[in-house]
Amino acid sequence: MPTLVKWTGADAELAEDPFTAVDDDQTLPRGDVIISLTRFQAEGEQLLSEGRKIGVRVEADEAVEALAYDLPRIAVVALVFPKFRDGRAYSAARLLRQRFGYEGQVRAVGDVLREQAHFMIRCGFDAFEPADGSGPTDWAHVAARFRHVYQRAADDRTPAFLERQG
Amino acid sequence: MYRYDEIDRAILTDRVAEFREQATRRLAGLITEDQFKPIRLMNGLYLQLHAYMLRIAIPYGALTSAKLRKLAYIARTYDKGYGHFTTRTNLQLHWIKLRDAPDILEHLAEVELHSIQTSGNCIRNLTADPHAGATADEVDDPRVWAEAIRQWSTFHPEFSFLPRKFKIAVTAAATDRAAIKVYDIGLRLHRAEDGELGFEVLVGGGLGRTPYLGSTIRKHLPTRHLLSYLQAILRVYNRAGRRDNAWKARIKILVSSLGAEEFARQVEEEWEREPRDGVDLPDEELARIRAAFAPQGFETLPPVSAAFQSAKANDRAFARFARHNVKPHKVPGYAIVDVSLKAPGETPGDCSADQMDVVADLAERFSHDEVRVSYEQNLILPHVKLDDVPQVYAELEAAGLATPNIGLISDIIACPGLDYCALANARAIPIAQDIAKRFADPERAEVVGELKIKISGCINACGHHHVGHIGILGVDKKGEEFYQLTLGGSGAEDAEVGKMLGPALPADKVADAVEQLVEVYMRERAEGERFLDTFRRTGMSPFKEAVYADAR
Amino acid sequence: MTMKALTANRLDDGEAVFWMGGRWVDRFAEAQLWGDQDPDADAAEAHAKSELTQVVDAYLIDVIESEGGYAPLSYRERVRAMGPTNKLEHGKQAEGGASIEALVHAHGAARSTGRVNLIKRK
Ligand code: SF4
Repeated sequence: MPTLVKWTGADAELAEDPFTAVDDDQTLPRGDVIISLTRFQAEGEQLLSEGRKIGVRVEADEAVEALAYDLPRIAVVALVFPKFRDGRAYSAARLLRQRFGYEGQVRAVGDVLREQAHFMIRCGFDAFEPADGSGPTDWAHVAARFRHVYQRAADDRTPAFLERQG
Repeated sequence: MYRYDEIDRAILTDRVAEFREQATRRLAGLITEDQFKPIRLMNGLYLQLHAYMLRIAIPYGALTSAKLRKLAYIARTYDKGYGHFTTRTNLQLHWIKLRDAPDILEHLAEVELHSIQTSGNCIRNLTADPHAGATADEVDDPRVWAEAIRQWSTFHPEFSFLPRKFKIAVTAAATDRAAIKVYDIGLRLHRAEDGELGFEVLVGGGLGRTPYLGSTIRKHLPTRHLLSYLQAILRVYNRAGRRDNAWKARIKILVSSLGAEEFARQVEEEWEREPRDGVDLPDEELARIRAAFAPQGFETLPPVSAAFQSAKANDRAFARFARHNVKPHKVPGYAIVDVSLKAPGETPGDCSADQMDVVADLAERFSHDEVRVSYEQNLILPHVKLDDVPQVYAELEAAGLATPNIGLISDIIACPGLDYCALANARAIPIAQDIAKRFADPERAEVVGELKIKISGCINACGHHHVGHIGILGVDKKGEEFYQLTLGGSGAEDAEVGKMLGPALPADKVADAVEQLVEVYMRERAEGERFLDTFRRTGMSPFKEAVYADAR
Repeated sequence: MTMKALTANRLDDGEAVFWMGGRWVDRFAEAQLWGDQDPDADAAEAHAKSELTQVVDAYLIDVIESEGGYAPLSYRERVRAMGPTNKLEHGKQAEGGASIEALVHAHGAARSTGRVNLIKRK
C-alpha cells in the first residue's frame, strides 16, 4: 500500500488508504477502489450499487467536467501528474473545488513531489501519494513556508489584498 | 514607485529562507541535480558555460537608486564587477557561485528585489513601457496594472507549471516601447469612446522558432476585470496548451491552431463561468497601488530651459546627445534622459558596477530617485529637469554612458550568445561590437538615422532578431558560426516579422553585409524615410543583390 | 586523430572542469585524453554521472590536435575551456600561456556541438 499523506487543513498526517488503485486491465478486488474515468463510465453504476466507495482517476488530458454530475457519489478524485512539470491537475483541482463544489477527497497521484505541497494544497488537494519518499513532516513543512499569499485560490487563505484591508 | 509593505516583505523573506534550505540540501548531496534543477531555475539560477548565471527580476523595468546601488554591490562582491541588462529588462550576472546564491538573494530582498519567476514555465517577470509616468502620450500609468499583475502572478498556485514560459507586457501609450505584440499577452491601455479606461488584449505573440504577432482577442476589457480575464486566458492555456513538444508549447501555437476567434470564445466562456469576486482587486487595493505611483515632487517650470538651450547652442556633442537621448516629458521643464549601454566596442547591455553607481547617484540627485531599464538594453532617467540635463550629460559622459545613439545603428540589441549561454549556436556580442565600431562616428550614425539591429545567438530569439530592422541570427553549420540575416522586422507599434535576406554568412562577413545594406538604403531612400520605410517600399531585391553580388 | 575528454561544471561554483585520473581539474590542458574507442572514457562518464556532490552535467567531448597541443573540436567547448571572447580578462584565458594559445588558434570543427553521446544525455 503506498503511503498516503493527508492534509487536514492545518497539518499533514500519515493515513491508511482504504482504496485500492486498479488498472483497466486488472480484475476488481473487493472493497473500495480507484478506477479510471473510462472504467467508471462503463461500470460505475454497477459498482456504486454494490455499496462500495468509488474513487475515479482522472488523467491530465481528461476533463474533470466529465464527472460533474457524478461528483456527489464519488469519494475520491485522483488527479494524475504524469510529470511534476505537468500542471494541468492544478486547474482540474480548482475546478472541482470551486466550480463544482466537490467536497470529497482530491488526491494527487503520479509524479507527486513535496516541493509542490504549497501549490497543491492551495488548489484544493487534500491527499497525496508522494513519489519522492517524503512523509507528512516534509509536507507540513513545505505547506507552512509562506506566511502570506497574493491570490485567492481553493483553500481558505486570505489573499494579501484583503489582509491589507484589515 | 511601489514600496513593499510587511506582507510583500514577508513573502520575499520566506522565499529566501526556502531557497537557502534547498541549496544547502543540494550542496550536501541530499537531493539530486534532477530534483534541484527546477528549484534553482525557479530562482533564476541557470548553469551556463563558465559558471552559474543569476537572472534578477526588475519588475516592469523600474529601479530606484537604492536598488541599483545594491545591484552594483552584488556585481562587485559576488561577480566580476559588471552585469548584463537583457531584453526582458532583467539583470543577468554571469559568474555566480551556487554557494553564494542564498546570500545574494538575501541582499536583493533588502531592497525589494528578487529573482522569482525569471525562469521556468510560469508567468515571468513582466515588462512595461519604460517611459511610464513620464511620457505625455499615455492614458494611464501602466505600472499600476503591472504591479497588480506582479502580485497576482507571484507564486500563483494554478499557473506555476504551465506548458511553457509565459510573458506579459503592458503599455498605455500609442508608441509601443514595450514590444507588446511579441508577448504571450500584450496589454494596451486605452480609453473607449465613453471615456472608460480599458485594455486591448493581445494574445499569442512571440518570437523563437515560429514567430507570431499577437492577435487582439478583446478590444476593450474594463480595467477592473484585468485579473479575472488573465486568469481565464491562463486557465484555457494551462489546460489546452500542448505539452508533448516544447517547441509547440507556447500559447502562440495554441492560438494559431485554434484560430484567434475560437481561442477568444473559449476564454470568454471560461471568464463568464468563473466568479470574479476575489480575483479582481477591490477598489481599495487598486487605489493603494495607484497612490504609490502618483506623480511627486515636480516643480512648476517654464517649458523652455535657458541652460538647456545654451548648452545645445554651444556644444555640438551635447546637442547631438539632446537630439537622440533626450525625450519630451509630460511635465513642462522636464525631460526623459536615455543612458546608453551601447558605447561602440562595448558589450551591448553590459554595465559595470561603477557605472551602476554613477547612474544611481544621478537618479538620486536629478531624477526623483528613479531609473528604468528598457527592453532595448539601455537605462533611462525618467524625470530630469531640462536645466539639469547638461550636468547629467557631463557625468554620464565621464562614465562612458552618454553615447548619443539611441535608436541609431550602433544601439544594437544582442543576447549573450555563445560567449556565455549554454543554449547558443553562435556568438552575438562580437558581431554587435564589429558593427558598432564601423558606425562609431556619431556623424555617420546620425546621417543613417533610425536603424534597429537585433542579434540572437540561437533560435530562442532573446535578442529579438525577428523584429530588427536588420535581424541577425547565429546558426551552427558543422560547428562553425554562421549568421542568418533578416530585413524589415519591427517590434514597435508597426510590428512585423522580418524576412530572410539569403543564405547565412560567415562571422567575418556580417559587418560588411550590414555596411552594404546601409549603402543600398542611403542610395534608395526618399526624403524622410527610415531604413525600414525604404525596405518596405523597395522590397528585398536591391538589398539582396548588394550583399550577394560577389556570390553570383 | 580525434580523442575524447570528459567535462562538467562543478556543482559548488559552476566552473567548467575536466576529468584527470580520478579528480576534476580547472584547466583543459591538464585533462585526461582517451583514444576514440577507449571504453575507459565511457566508464569515467558513467562514474561522474552517478556522483552527486561534485559536478553537474558531465559529458564527453571530442578533442583534436592544435598547434602542437590539443583543443576541443567544437567552438562551444573551446569557449568553455577559454572564457568569453568579449572579455579576455575573464575566465580561464586570463592566465594565458601556450595551452590557451592552442585553444585560441584551433580550427577545423566537424561536429555540431562536439558533444559525444548527445542523444544518450537526454
Ligand atoms: S537567443 Fe539563444 S543564445 Fe541568445 S541568450 Fe537566448 S538562448 Fe542564449
